[in-house]
Amino acid sequence: MKESEAHTEKDLTGTKNHFSFRKYAWAQFRKNKPAFYSYRILIFLAALALVAPFIATDQPLYCKYKGVHMFPAFSPSNNCEVKDPQTGEVENIQYDIADWKRMDAESIVFAPVPYTPQKTDIDNSGYVAPGDKQFFTTKNGEQAELPTRFRHWLGTNKGGEDVLSGLINGTRVSLSIGILSMGIASVLGLLLGAMAGYFGDKKLQTTRGAFWTFLLGIIFAWYYGFSVRSYAIADGFATSSMAMLGQLLLSVFIFALVALLFFYLGKLAGKIPFLSQRVFIPVDSIVSRSIEILMSMPILILIISIAAIAKEKSIINIMVIIGLTGWTPIARLTRAEFLRVSSLEYIQAAKSMGFKEFRIIFKHALPNAIAPALVAIAFGVASAILIESSLSFLGIGVPPSTVTWGSLLNGGREQFSAWWLVVFPGLAIFITVTIYNLLGEGLRDALDPRLKR
Amino acid sequence: MLRYILKRIFLFIPTLIIITLLGFIISINAPGDPVERMVSSAQSGGEIGTQSVSQVQDKIFWRKKLGLDLPVFYFSLTSLSRPDTLYRIYDRSEREALDRLISRYGNWEQIQQYEQGLVSFYSSLIAFTPDSSQLQQYNKNTIREHMNWLKSESLALRSSYEENIIAAKLGKISGILSQYPFLASFRPAFSRIKNDYESIKANASAWKNYIPRLAFYKTQNQYHRWLFGDGEFSQGLVRLDFGTSYTTKQPVSDVIFSRIGWSMFFAMLSVLLAYLISIPLGVKAAARRGSRFDKYSSLLLFMLYSMPSFWLATLLLMTFANTDVLHWFPASGVKPPMGYPDAAGFFDKVKLSLPYLILPAICYTYSSFAFLSRTMRVSMIDTIGQDYIRTARAKGLPDDKVIWKHAFRNSLLPIITVFANIFPAAIGGSVIIESIFTIPGMGYETFLGIQNNNYPMIIAVFTITGFLTLLGYLVSDVLYALVDPRISYK
Repeated sequence: MKESEAHTEKDLTGTKNHFSFRKYAWAQFRKNKPAFYSYRILIFLAALALVAPFIATDQPLYCKYKGVHMFPAFSPSNNCEVKDPQTGEVENIQYDIADWKRMDAESIVFAPVPYTPQKTDIDNSGYVAPGDKQFFTTKNGEQAELPTRFRHWLGTNKGGEDVLSGLINGTRVSLSIGILSMGIASVLGLLLGAMAGYFGDKKLQTTRGAFWTFLLGIIFAWYYGFSVRSYAIADGFATSSMAMLGQLLLSVFIFALVALLFFYLGKLAGKIPFLSQRVFIPVDSIVSRSIEILMSMPILILIISIAAIAKEKSIINIMVIIGLTGWTPIARLTRAEFLRVSSLEYIQAAKSMGFKEFRIIFKHALPNAIAPALVAIAFGVASAILIESSLSFLGIGVPPSTVTWGSLLNGGREQFSAWWLVVFPGLAIFITVTIYNLLGEGLRDALDPRLKR
Repeated sequence: MLRYILKRIFLFIPTLIIITLLGFIISINAPGDPVERMVSSAQSGGEIGTQSVSQVQDKIFWRKKLGLDLPVFYFSLTSLSRPDTLYRIYDRSEREALDRLISRYGNWEQIQQYEQGLVSFYSSLIAFTPDSSQLQQYNKNTIREHMNWLKSESLALRSSYEENIIAAKLGKISGILSQYPFLASFRPAFSRIKNDYESIKANASAWKNYIPRLAFYKTQNQYHRWLFGDGEFSQGLVRLDFGTSYTTKQPVSDVIFSRIGWSMFFAMLSVLLAYLISIPLGVKAAARRGSRFDKYSSLLLFMLYSMPSFWLATLLLMTFANTDVLHWFPASGVKPPMGYPDAAGFFDKVKLSLPYLILPAICYTYSSFAFLSRTMRVSMIDTIGQDYIRTARAKGLPDDKVIWKHAFRNSLLPIITVFANIFPAAIGGSVIIESIFTIPGMGYETFLGIQNNNYPMIIAVFTITGFLTLLGYLVSDVLYALVDPRISYK
């Protein structure tokens, strides 16, 4: 970190190193204090999300019981057989339901937050405030005060579930919402935007035969990939997520195979006299119209409606829907950038050298056109997190078994005196959304030198 | 100008069609059978697993009334093995079972024979009345018990498709039939059914499933009926008929039009308030760029912009509508729980409702106002940087005059275009805010619809919101053209 800092500083003061836009942008970004701090907080949150299952869990990280060493939090299996050295009795310890806190272990190391989300602590059920006296039933059945090590630092909800633990595990959901939904949106947006901007309406040409054959091929590919296999896919959905994924992948594979077959058939068909007429594919018109249509649609209500009819309630569904509807800003900005970039001289040079168009688009044009898309992605993540938390707050489309910040906050609606249920999860959402918005602003200022006033 | 507006409207048609298509796709994919929803709540009771004649008639009636006896769309991509008439089978699970049989064996003629055998077998079971000699021989209850078992099994057979399940059920039924002499009259029919099933397996032509075929249905289809009505049960979307609510059995449009008022009221109010606050704020911040006012207002607006509305709403309720903290405002609804007094005039009603409206209005307004102020500030800064502003200052014009007379009007353009974004956002956000404050509007109705799986309501709201969104775009386009003379109307 220190080294690279020194590196960029030297570049800015203008010395022997050649001027690089990336370094310039990074230096600009670092100068923007709020954005840079947001970047650091984001890294912290990402790290937290990665290690969340080991930070907030009631399974100890390490436990020595009757001479046996156990690592319950890290162990992939869920139980361990312990043999008593004196009596020879075999005791089966199930990690997820064992009563670790009252166990006679020789030594035991708990996670920093020794609670699993959605697991009831009966002694502290019914909205225990962070500052309240918290209780603990000892092995002898006596009520004692909860040791400081095991305090619910952010209180509990109605069922006595630890709020801090829920918050830490909710970080995973929030960040993965951002990654998956905007991942889908970025792929769609960059691809479509790049094609629209680069090819326009008058550059992508093919033969009449190839065009119609390929169009027909898409119908056939859909038929063999999805229509014929619709019951196989439906049964896959009903059994398990692995079966579902397998069936879907197989369908996509068949689709691609048939489409490819017709693509080559089309090349052949293009050799026939009447079919060899050149036609233009109006990529730009198609993409621009789609963007316009999608942008003038009530996206939130659309997402709510689709989430409401989904048979399987799952977070993944919501991520996919947000991704499939959220690509328009990215595509719009990428298209505009490609319009600018594709008329530049170096692209003309690449074309005259006979490079494949695929290579020109992805290797030469895209790196220079990606900056505005990055800004749109940062803002997109912010709004995706907002949408997901609103949905889970209302309890739409999110299974009750998933703890999210929104669902935690929802618990506070029933009992207004439980302020900690409203304040902390809300703050978590607010901070994360703010971070992404600040990052977006910082990126915009850093990546667009024209904005420097 | 008129031509320009007409052209814009014309351009919205594809979007409108896609919105109706999406609504339709969502509605046909909604889980559960609408007919079951209608029949089960209209008439519950009867013996489990069997269907009385009146229930079957009810189902057929509702299928016709909901238009489910029609093919789905103008055309469909199907296979050579599938008949065009499969949609006529009224029971959803039976239809699926048949379709699955076809997708395994691909020979509709044999499958149809098997199905018809089962149907006539079931009706002969229903028609059966034991004669006196049988009644002497067997207990009345024994006969009834076995008949009921046979009925439910043969019905279950009609919606089974897995090979081993069908085989097991066939075996069980023929076992019972051969066991009791009073059931002898059913034996020949049932052995025919078994033969039919064997011939399905023997004459399988699964290859037919792999040959695609396009089937066309003209205007006799569900989508067309949903849009334009059939003149008998449905008036169609074009005449604002959105179907029947699953929960209240009222027309959905009645419910929606009694609710839309509050949603529109809050959307309009919030947009108006947002513009009223944000324009002076943005201008002031831009005019004193870099000042303390600019810095703090920017920071505040930024934070407001990132604030989740449901969080703010809950915080407000927790603080200002909580008997333990401050009980300034009521927590839910839009008017006193007892309703308005009879003698109340318009202003009395406003006075009575006002405390209910303040917290929701804040939640509706703040996010769009934050967004608008930021847009206004940026646009004003852009304008102030122009040469003609420098000229105006150089002429020695007072600062106020430069800002409000020269710069202000030109910086209004972007803020008008974002009207198109703000209005739909206000309508869309209503689901969250209305459910938190229990405002009897469209958003709250959507929320209830989702909780009760009342799909016609959800789809109606989606379609109407889509239409209103398009209207918002149209208004902002027209406003833009009115304000900026550089826009050509052609």
